[in-house]
Amino acid sequence: MSRVVTWRAALVFAVLAALPGVPGISQYSLLLAFDALLFGAIAMSLDLLIGYTGLVSFGHAAFYGLGAYATAIVLERGVLSLWACLGAAVLVVGAYALVVSYFATARRGIYFALLTLIFAEVVYTFFRYTQTFGGSDGIQGLPDARLWPGAAIDTPLRKYYLVLTYLALAYAVCRLVVTSHFGRVLVAIRENEDRARFLGYSVQRYKMAICMISALLTGLAGAIYPMRSAFATPDLMLWTESGEFIISVMIGGLGTLVGPVIGGAFFTILRDKVSSYVDWYFIVIGVVLIVIVLFMPRGLLGFRRLLGFKQWRATA
Amino acid sequence: MARDGVVLEVEAVSKSFGALAALTDVSLAVREGEVFSVIGPNGAGKSTLFNVVSGLYAPSAGRVRLHGREITGLAPEAINRLGVAKTFQITNVFPEISVGENVRVAAQSRARESGRLASLWRRSDVDARVGELLGPFGLAAKRDELAENLAHGEQRYLEICLALATEPTLLLLDEPTAGMTPGETKDATRLIREVARRRGLTLLLIEHDMSVVMGISDRVAVLHFGEKIAEGPPDAIRNDPKVIEAYLGGGED
Repeated sequence: MSRVVTWRAALVFAVLAALPGVPGISQYSLLLAFDALLFGAIAMSLDLLIGYTGLVSFGHAAFYGLGAYATAIVLERGVLSLWACLGAAVLVVGAYALVVSYFATARRGIYFALLTLIFAEVVYTFFRYTQTFGGSDGIQGLPDARLWPGAAIDTPLRKYYLVLTYLALAYAVCRLVVTSHFGRVLVAIRENEDRARFLGYSVQRYKMAICMISALLTGLAGAIYPMRSAFATPDLMLWTESGEFIISVMIGGLGTLVGPVIGGAFFTILRDKVSSYVDWYFIVIGVVLIVIVLFMPRGLLGFRRLLGFKQWRATA
Repeated sequence: MARDGVVLEVEAVSKSFGALAALTDVSLAVREGEVFSVIGPNGAGKSTLFNVVSGLYAPSAGRVRLHGREITGLAPEAINRLGVAKTFQITNVFPEISVGENVRVAAQSRARESGRLASLWRRSDVDARVGELLGPFGLAAKRDELAENLAHGEQRYLEICLALATEPTLLLLDEPTAGMTPGETKDATRLIREVARRRGLTLLLIEHDMSVVMGISDRVAVLHFGEKIAEGPPDAIRNDPKVIEAYLGGGED
């Protein structure tokens, strides 16, 4: 099955790579595609926790926002290297995620969710009220990052390819992890964590490890965001943002990786389209989401089943 | 410290939950290769004893040793890695994954990659072992079924497969035939005995069904209100007045 998945994924990425070649595609559409794929990548990283391990994190916005601030601070100091930004994000998000995952994985279920939420709110509040980092305005007007000296990531096309590359690499990492020895243990933890302990698995260590992986992937996505927006604000860390990540995973299909990518992209595009027509767009989005949750409990990807796929959720 | 051939030594173990004394000063020694059963009426403390041995509870007093090594108060995963596996009285499998995947995740816990960084990208090749485990229990044909869709008896067998997959030297079976019909119970008992002999396993069994115990045990200990009231070969136990009293008499007198 894994070879089929690889080929199918390669095909999808080839199509996405060809997207900018569509005649008459606007710069605006490319930037919207950037947002959609970035949101999808984050939902995919969160799926490692929710869909595979059964851990609902309500604090992923903090990893995302910290990654964005890491980039903003590096760029603001005149260091324009993409690699410096990503490196800074890994350090900052990694250090924070180590603390959060250590404490949060010590508790289960709703307590895990609440601990991730509380930690994230602390981070939000810190950035919201610390003037060094711009308070509620955040850090604005950032210069474009460079892939190497002279190669600025300055056009929507280049930005689009940046996020597409990130998504492809993140997907490869997620795919590798969920189909590995380690990934099987995650599914066992989701299904019955007590039993997993009696099979010799140190459940908390597995949970911590997957929290770290998910957090770092989300942090890297956050580090890429200011390269398109040219800002980082505390709103990126707001708990509603975490909620939107969770919604994207749900509407895409838990435990499928690809589903959450579609869910995140769908959510982003829906919000963009509806909000350009009406101010009360969130009501429209809410109705669409309710319909999906009620009538497609397995998410958008659950439709696969109608197309003859036997198993809707990864059992790897 | 280890006496020759003793696999598990429970020494003066007590466990209380608040004011309730679930176990009082219980000692027993299980020898290599034997089938040792613990029986007693409901509420006698049998499951508590298992939970202490397997690491779910730390005892309030006393020690537990495995091959002479103290394991008192270790976590379940640590005790499992030392070679103790447990099956559960109420079926406790991974419901929404296939039978094959259930056993695979159990079997790979003893693979080289387990607990190492490489487990993040490598897969453990345990296909052959999964087949070997499922075969004797007649589950090979059900490999791709979801565990939750198995019949009750099959789930009981899967439960045993999971425990065996971790390659234990000591297997704790908590009422393995619970909920089975008399016919199934007979088959299961025979099968368990056979698998244990072939693998050179030591079995510690909890039962309240006397007929199961008498047929397969080398030695039997009887718990009553958290205390051990008798120990010996099945025939001696069957005729022990204290045991008869505990099972038939009931009450506190």
